[in-house]
Amino acid sequence: MFLFNLSLVEFMALFAGVSGVVAALYLLDRTRHKHRVATLRFWTHSDAPSEMQHRRKIQQPWSLLLQILSLLCLLLALAQLRWGSPFQRTRDHVLILDTSAIMNARVPQGRLMDQSRVAAKAWLKAVPKGDRVMLVRADTLSTAATAFESNLAVVDEAISLTQPAAGSLRLGDALRFAKQAQQVQDHRAGEIVYAGAGRVSDEDDGFANSVTNLRVLPVKGTVENVGLRKIGLRRSPNDEKVWEVYGTVRNDGARLRLVPVAVLFGGGLAGQRQLTIAPNSEQSFTLDLRTQAAGLLETRIQVNDNFPDDDRAVIEIPTQNAVKVTVYSNEPDLLKPVFSGHPRFDTSYRPTAEYSPSTDAAVVVLDRFAAAPPTKAAAIWISPPRSGTPVAVASTKQGATLTRWRNDNAIGAGLHTRDIKLDEVSLFTTKPGDLVIAEVAGGAAALARPSARLVALGFHPMRSPLKFELATPLLFANILHWLSPEVFLRWELNAGSAGGQTLTLDEEPAPGSVKVTMDGGRAVPFTIEGQTLRFFSGSPGVVRVNDGKQEHVYSLTLPDIASGTWKAPPKAVSGVPAALESSPVARDLWQWLALLGGAGLIAEWIMFGRARRLFRAGTRPVEPVLRKAS
Amino acid sequence: MAAGRAASPLIDRAFLERLERLTIHWAKSFPGLVGGHNASRFSGPGQEFLDHRNFHQGDDLRAVNWRAYMRLEKMFLKMFQIEPRVPVRLMLDVSDSMTLGQDGLSKFDYARRLTAALAYVGLVRLDTIQIQPFSDRLLESSTSGGGRHRFSPVVDYLTALPAGGPTNLMKVCRSFIGEYSQRGLVIVVSDFLDDADVEKPLQYLADFGHELSLIQIWSEEDRTPPWDGELDLVDAESGGHLQISFDEEARERYTRSFDGYSEKLRLLALRNSGRYVGLSTSMPVEDAVFGPMVRSRGVA
Repeated sequence: MFLFNLSLVEFMALFAGVSGVVAALYLLDRTRHKHRVATLRFWTHSDAPSEMQHRRKIQQPWSLLLQILSLLCLLLALAQLRWGSPFQRTRDHVLILDTSAIMNARVPQGRLMDQSRVAAKAWLKAVPKGDRVMLVRADTLSTAATAFESNLAVVDEAISLTQPAAGSLRLGDALRFAKQAQQVQDHRAGEIVYAGAGRVSDEDDGFANSVTNLRVLPVKGTVENVGLRKIGLRRSPNDEKVWEVYGTVRNDGARLRLVPVAVLFGGGLAGQRQLTIAPNSEQSFTLDLRTQAAGLLETRIQVNDNFPDDDRAVIEIPTQNAVKVTVYSNEPDLLKPVFSGHPRFDTSYRPTAEYSPSTDAAVVVLDRFAAAPPTKAAAIWISPPRSGTPVAVASTKQGATLTRWRNDNAIGAGLHTRDIKLDEVSLFTTKPGDLVIAEVAGGAAALARPSARLVALGFHPMRSPLKFELATPLLFANILHWLSPEVFLRWELNAGSAGGQTLTLDEEPAPGSVKVTMDGGRAVPFTIEGQTLRFFSGSPGVVRVNDGKQEHVYSLTLPDIASGTWKAPPKAVSGVPAALESSPVARDLWQWLALLGGAGLIAEWIMFGRARRLFRAGTRPVEPVLRKAS
Repeated sequence: MAAGRAASPLIDRAFLERLERLTIHWAKSFPGLVGGHNASRFSGPGQEFLDHRNFHQGDDLRAVNWRAYMRLEKMFLKMFQIEPRVPVRLMLDVSDSMTLGQDGLSKFDYARRLTAALAYVGLVRLDTIQIQPFSDRLLESSTSGGGRHRFSPVVDYLTALPAGGPTNLMKVCRSFIGEYSQRGLVIVVSDFLDDADVEKPLQYLADFGHELSLIQIWSEEDRTPPWDGELDLVDAESGGHLQISFDEEARERYTRSFDGYSEKLRLLALRNSGRYVGLSTSMPVEDAVFGPMVRSRGVA
């Protein structure tokens, strides 16, 4: 009996409570309802008289008894009352079908997945009638494909529909899941059956030893596999136009392999390597790819093995856009050293007479003239005149000393000079929200205005002693980084396999600055601990991790092949049995109890309820008893 | 204006304006009476010529037709139609049974509104209206006439009218006949739910010479009780108890019985050249006046 896990005493208490409620409702239903009417003359023609008894007394005991007995039957039906010993119950088996990536390998005996399915179906035929089976598909995650099913045809169909995934097997997690599923059921625990190749990572063996009811359905054949394990690209620190391609190839076979690696970009061969890899070991390679174009980078190894899925990986290289900078200056040679040093800036120089506000440049540099009308692009004003500029000049000083650089904002960070005397400097009037970059005695000599995306310098760095200082190129680098941060974004591209990924960031990110997204902008859950970022992707795809300074692109298309081989514990039974042991089964009674309860309620309704009046229609009405109020 | 202002709690101005075009009608002619519009076949001191008759000693010489005397040398007396002075009597049931109803509207409230409407119709046509409330006896009546500006006291009277007491129509009719010897139109507004027989007293009124106009008012609860199961019923007037088991079949029988009773009242009215109108309180008073009452030719 099973009803909210109640004991017999608790069940009887519940039944007594329900019976009490029924009796109270019965008495309430039979209570006379008092009504004040205009006359009693027409009521004398209505139906049967009622008996003049105390209303609290049970007038139809058989009706009440029938109702309570019917409810008892219904409660027992809900409690799934069985005929027989409580130990004579059917068993619950869990069939774990390995769907890790390696199950797609083809050996001379056939595909591993097909072998595993055949073995699982053979075991399913040996399951006694009445026992229930749950199918669990196990790879990186363990997923129940069916509930505990006594209809084994459903499980059989689910086995037929099972296909290998991209992850590796976590057998320990799958066995824990199976054991918990058996424990929460009221039925007896049956077997936990594992059907698969048993390729697991090293940390997965351990829990299987504690599973006493384990059966293993092994597959035949040895997998000879050489495959790509990791492919990555990053910008060369020495040359912005060069990508460093690095990768790892593993030999899971039993013999030494000579592995040619070819890297193709845009359909053409971009580089190749020849690797000699010992059994059960891996080897890395690197090569340079010089390009600024976007496209698909394909890495391919040319081997003949049982598992071709990991012989090829593709990474998409994004477009590297340059930022257009227009410098309006009548002395462009002064500023050329500053802007020509960065390859991602496409800088053009024009005289101030050619100034036009409708420029297509992302950043405009205005050298000592009033640009009217003002440009809508981000602007760097160098020594602006008193009128015609958005930044108000408060005063002009001759021979002022640069007192300090403000290191508390992004533009002034890292700048340092000593005893710099400026021949002529304009002091600006600051507004709320302005960032002061440099100060002289009496006011701000350089400031940034985030709302207007402009930076104003009250002095010309290249016409002052600053041109000999390291702070000058750093100042412009900081300004350009502040105005166009996307240009300085670094890229790192990786190809891997679906599942958990760990990434070490350059520095601890600010809260909320990290975004991890999949194709289509779908957010991927992640955790950050210090500089370590972890995320999990259960399905193949491209995952982007952006921390504001660097974007890591993970092309999770490689299958995850575990390197270890699981050994079944000695207590585990192996192979498909002729027939599983069947046990006497307690008989379910709930169907009959439900029918009996329903029939009882209908009978009560017919004999004592309103239906009685319907059945008695046509009979001669009996005059009611009329009595005067005392 | 005064009528409209005073009438607002019981009857609204728009309804009064619609009532202006109605007239209370009756079929019989009564000696020495009648309203402003109802012509009488009885002669009397009026303005309209009716007939000639031979002069008898003691007749008023002013009514002698001297032209006929000069031509025929016989004295003929001119007779005129009498002026209307006998009131329209509205008998209003104020017994306890009338205090019941549905949806917050009692039969008594409904009857008061209907009586007010009929009184206004009569006053507009210069009829004299007498409202005679009753339960098991005749209560203090109110008489008004002389036009619509006298409607305000009627409303005040009806508004202040209390309800209560049992119904004894036989005793009431006897008192009525004894008190009002002048025959005329009697409009009875009641639910006619008397434990005793109501046909007999109404027949007395008709036999006495009154023209009966019966307006039976019921609530839906009176005609089709909505309850089921075991019922303990209390008579609103007598306090009598009835314990009964009530179901759909009994409800149908009850309604049939009620309808049979109403039919008896209708036949009684028609048999005595009167009128019968049955009204449910679920029907607005305005719809009742311009619907069933106009169709019955009680007002038109």
